Amino acid sequence: MTGADQQGPAATLAALHAALDRVLHDAPRPPTHVVVRSGGESIELTWSAAVAPPPVPEAAPPAPVEAERQPAASDGHLVRAPLVGTFYAAPEPGAPPFVAVGDLVEAGQQVAIIEAMKLMNPIEADRAGRVTAVLIKNGEGVGYDEPLFELDCDGQG
Amino acid sequence: MFDTVLIANRGEIALRVVRTCRDMGITSVVVHSGVDADSAAAQAADRRINIGPADPRRSYLYAPAVIEAARLTGAQAVHPGYGFLSEDPDFATICAENGLVFVGPAAEVMARLGDKSTARRMMADAGLPVVPGSREPVGTADEAAEVARRIGYPLIVKAVAGGGGRGMAVVRDAGALLPTFRATRASAQAAFGDNRVYMEQYLYGARHIEIQVLADGHGNVVHLGERDCSVQRRHQKLVEESPAPELPPGLADRLAGYAVAGCRAAGYRGAGTFEFLVRGAEAAFIEVNSRIQVEHPVTEMVTGIDIVREQLRIAAGEPLGFDQDRVERRGASVECRINAEDPARDFAPCPGTLTGFRAPGGPFVRVDTHAFPGAQARPEYDSLLAKVVTWGQDRDQALARMRRALGELRVEGPGVHTTAGLLADVLDDPDFCAGRHDTTLLDRRAAS
Repeated sequence: MTGADQQGPAATLAALHAALDRVLHDAPRPPTHVVVRSGGESIELTWSAAVAPPPVPEAAPPAPVEAERQPAASDGHLVRAPLVGTFYAAPEPGAPPFVAVGDLVEAGQQVAIIEAMKLMNPIEADRAGRVTAVLIKNGEGVGYDEPLFELDCDGQG
Repeated sequence: MFDTVLIANRGEIALRVVRTCRDMGITSVVVHSGVDADSAAAQAADRRINIGPADPRRSYLYAPAVIEAARLTGAQAVHPGYGFLSEDPDFATICAENGLVFVGPAAEVMARLGDKSTARRMMADAGLPVVPGSREPVGTADEAAEVARRIGYPLIVKAVAGGGGRGMAVVRDAGALLPTFRATRASAQAAFGDNRVYMEQYLYGARHIEIQVLADGHGNVVHLGERDCSVQRRHQKLVEESPAPELPPGLADRLAGYAVAGCRAAGYRGAGTFEFLVRGAEAAFIEVNSRIQVEHPVTEMVTGIDIVREQLRIAAGEPLGFDQDRVERRGASVECRINAEDPARDFAPCPGTLTGFRAPGGPFVRVDTHAFPGAQARPEYDSLLAKVVTWGQDRDQALARMRRALGELRVEGPGVHTTAGLLADVLDDPDFCAGRHDTTLLDRRAAS
């Protein structure tokens, strides 16, 4: 942020906070590190690859199998659907999910099921990493190649 | 009528079906491969769903993915377009088993007509003239030699499971018979998974004339007249028109009568095309295409009937809304197929990105295309980029408008060539202009 401060330190700090509010509002996920200075003005934000799951939109589309359902921009590894079908996060209704946010998964570990043509197809992680987001709700339709999970593979791949 | 129809195809025909669905208030779902996510059809549809990668065997030809997409989107019917799964009786059966209406004839009818040898026999039994040839598939070299002795040369060896101009080879003398017979069997096995072939006399210098039929599930059959598709290269059509010019008096009506009789004999339902070879006043049945044809727009232009709409109505169990007396044909219509191919290199496909594309327009011009600036002509798929169709009060006027339209067409991109220039030359060919052309026109032009 640049520009001469005509209003004094308090006004500068307020302006920096307002700018920070705008950036946080527009950011896809919270930063891990924030610096706000007043003298000489500054605002610095840092994001790491390890992130919390993106906020769930309040009104999810009814059957989002179309390409319109775009995941938030991600710098993690995406585990994608190898076929079109219905996504199941757990081995059976009522059972705990195969994986949850924060879990470490191995390459080849089953993370979901996609049902297609009445066949239950096990979906495996193609890389090792920590689950940072589950991008599809249980029971939703998914298209081919649609992102299902986000993994942080730093030091895990 | 259906609420939701899934379109199991891509390119211009997928867009064509989307448009009629919109006209009819039907929700359209287009399946697409990963590389077609931004295609014109996917963008125009009410909904789209990615069913697999670019390789059509894992997407557009992969029935489980198509069926699953229909289930997920609540579609009640599947329109297969042309090519891909459109003439696959197994796919029609799978649709029925999954509670989906296949927009086309019953699977068993499609199977009988798709087996070209069986179709020939069925139509001969129904009283249609057929080209002299083998009644059954020819399995051995001895059988092939025997049939050749009976029907003479030139002859044509055709794959039983062939279609779309693929899986056939002409034999001009006895020396070429066995190598061609074996090669056609091998290529039929590779292309269609079925090595059976049959043999027919080859009518050199014949015209390709076909009849469009519509048959509902209530016993009503009508024809929408004929199309001339004689401008071909390697048995694939490039220019089509309706009506066929300069046919001997009464021949078009006779062919239409054959098609309607054949339709009834086969128990056909839906839109279909009966193809004939015509030489002078002689005509012979060759095959039935049990799907919408690429060249259907010329028939729509002269009849005012939306053939895709009729397909959907028939599939929904509705009776045809008109009888033969109500089918009126006015004027003449011509279609030119703009393919991403290089005529100077034996029509080699020219995939690439279209940096520029401008469709022609103006009075009485229709362009069915999925092309736009930035679109890709993909190497995995058919090279058809656009169909330019014109109408006129007579053939000369339709051709004049086509010359104008081709002059307006712009297709640009690194390495992209099209058939447009060649087609413009054809439109000026004296034989073509006089309606004297036959299927050898392009070969003769190339030779000169």
